[in-house]
Amino acid sequence: MLIAQGLTKTFKNGKGIKDVSFTVKKGEVFGFLGPNGAGKSTTIRHIMGFMKPDKGFVQVNGLDTWKKQGVVQKHIGYLPGEIAFIEGMTGKEFLDFMAAMHEVKDSAKRNSLIERLQFDIHTPIRKMSKGMKQKVGIVAAFMHDPEVIILDEPTSGLDPLMQKVFIDIVLEEKAKGKTFLMSSHSFAEIERTCDRAAIIKDGIVIAVKNIHELQTMQRKLFEVTFQHKEDAQAFLQSGLSGQLQEGNRVRVAVQGDYNQFLAETSKYNVRNIDVFTQNLEDIFMDYYDRREKKR
Amino acid sequence: MNSTLYKQMMKVQIKGIINYAFGSAFYMILMVWIYPSIADNAKSLNDLMKTMPAGVSKAFGLESGFNSFDSYISGEFYGLLLLLILTIFCIMLSTQLIAKLVDQGSMAYLLSTPTTRAKIAITQAAVLVTGIFIILLITTISGFIGCYLFIEDTEAFRAITFIQLNLGAFFLFFAIGGISFFISSLVNDEKRALGIAGSIAFGFFSLNLLGKISEKIGWLKNISIYTLYNPSEIVSKQADMIQSCMILGAIGLAAFIIAVILFKKRDLPL
Repeated sequence: MLIAQGLTKTFKNGKGIKDVSFTVKKGEVFGFLGPNGAGKSTTIRHIMGFMKPDKGFVQVNGLDTWKKQGVVQKHIGYLPGEIAFIEGMTGKEFLDFMAAMHEVKDSAKRNSLIERLQFDIHTPIRKMSKGMKQKVGIVAAFMHDPEVIILDEPTSGLDPLMQKVFIDIVLEEKAKGKTFLMSSHSFAEIERTCDRAAIIKDGIVIAVKNIHELQTMQRKLFEVTFQHKEDAQAFLQSGLSGQLQEGNRVRVAVQGDYNQFLAETSKYNVRNIDVFTQNLEDIFMDYYDRREKKR
Repeated sequence: MNSTLYKQMMKVQIKGIINYAFGSAFYMILMVWIYPSIADNAKSLNDLMKTMPAGVSKAFGLESGFNSFDSYISGEFYGLLLLLILTIFCIMLSTQLIAKLVDQGSMAYLLSTPTTRAKIAITQAAVLVTGIFIILLITTISGFIGCYLFIEDTEAFRAITFIQLNLGAFFLFFAIGGISFFISSLVNDEKRALGIAGSIAFGFFSLNLLGKISEKIGWLKNISIYTLYNPSEIVSKQADMIQSCMILGAIGLAAFIIAVILFKKRDLPL
């Protein structure tokens, strides 16, 4: 449904993207992860046809996004990373305008989205908060019922409740066979919605992984508070990758092997155990680090 | 051309256009209103003109004197005020129509709809030309109204010449609008687009002015497109209106076409 093939673009300052290739299948939600400046937005600009690639191409529904401007957009819904609307309009005027540009006559979908996201469409755009602009942007991306939806940092500015509403909307559309490409910093939304994710750094895609693979790579951090300081010291000698926090508290990272951890801790008197789940960001930072070390 | 976009853009810009148009119309009516008192003193004013250096009166289009309404309005209004108003308008609006949308990022929304870049650029250019047309139309109408209200001597006002003055101005600003639109579609930064287009337009404007002040550097005005619009010569029937309008039209058209082509091929930082 969406194919990026050997996408290369070098900017004057030497930065850019190099040989970016991936394929998103119909009905799939594809995550696009990477730190700021890694090339996420540049890739999305190419997908949207805002830039001409030096080499390679992007196809949506079999149409080249640079060459087929004016046609390919019929299949695409887009939420920009930094939303800027045309000034001097209210939310409703903007959505009416976008609907007219997309030649959408049926406003049922738009109305249901507005109702779910709960915002006042009569607010002038310049008076809108970031979250509210984001909501208008989400409606604009979904309302013409496109087959492929490109979302750049979709939940920034939304409160947790609205993030959940948004994730529900994505999952519903996915169930209807819509294809998504979603770039994000918020790994919670990637975790909950994506099937696969590409990890990009310094303009190069370093891995395309199944989300379950990423999840099993996940480590858990246990913070154990022992009764005595000596216990904490002794525990650290046991060979687990632990770290003394302060006095009698120890932080241990566990990946997969919980039995050894349990066996070791149960030897001592334990006052308290806290669990921290490592988020995807840390996982893929680990991923970077390990690869850096290998070099 | 995309009619939905055109309507929306006109809706957003019409307030600004009307403001400029009313400003221009206000000056026009003001000038017409004070004309009768000036006409009464025409002789002494003409004598006063003769005492001024020839270059200065030439630069500001005063050499045709105050003998008739046409020469008065061509010098006082079309020679300076209208040029300033419309030059500023062309620079401001052309920057807002492309460079500002690219700089702010709202162009991303226009490009995400099923329309081509060429259509977007042509539509925006049409908005600019419509704006220039509306301002000159309202200015022309206000001139007629002003004459009807304040000028008793109906022979002083020659309608055809008056319309020619406005038509010539339209072609001049079609060309200047084209050039500033060209800059606007090439530059990513709104302020830079404003700066470059402003420097070019006011550069031309000053060259024309300087060239007229002094005969020695008279060649300066030959590199300015403002020289192709000479209100006092239009009034005195010395101007070759058809030729200069054709040249201005060609410059404007070429600038708009190149702007659209380059905008179509360009990387946009959206």
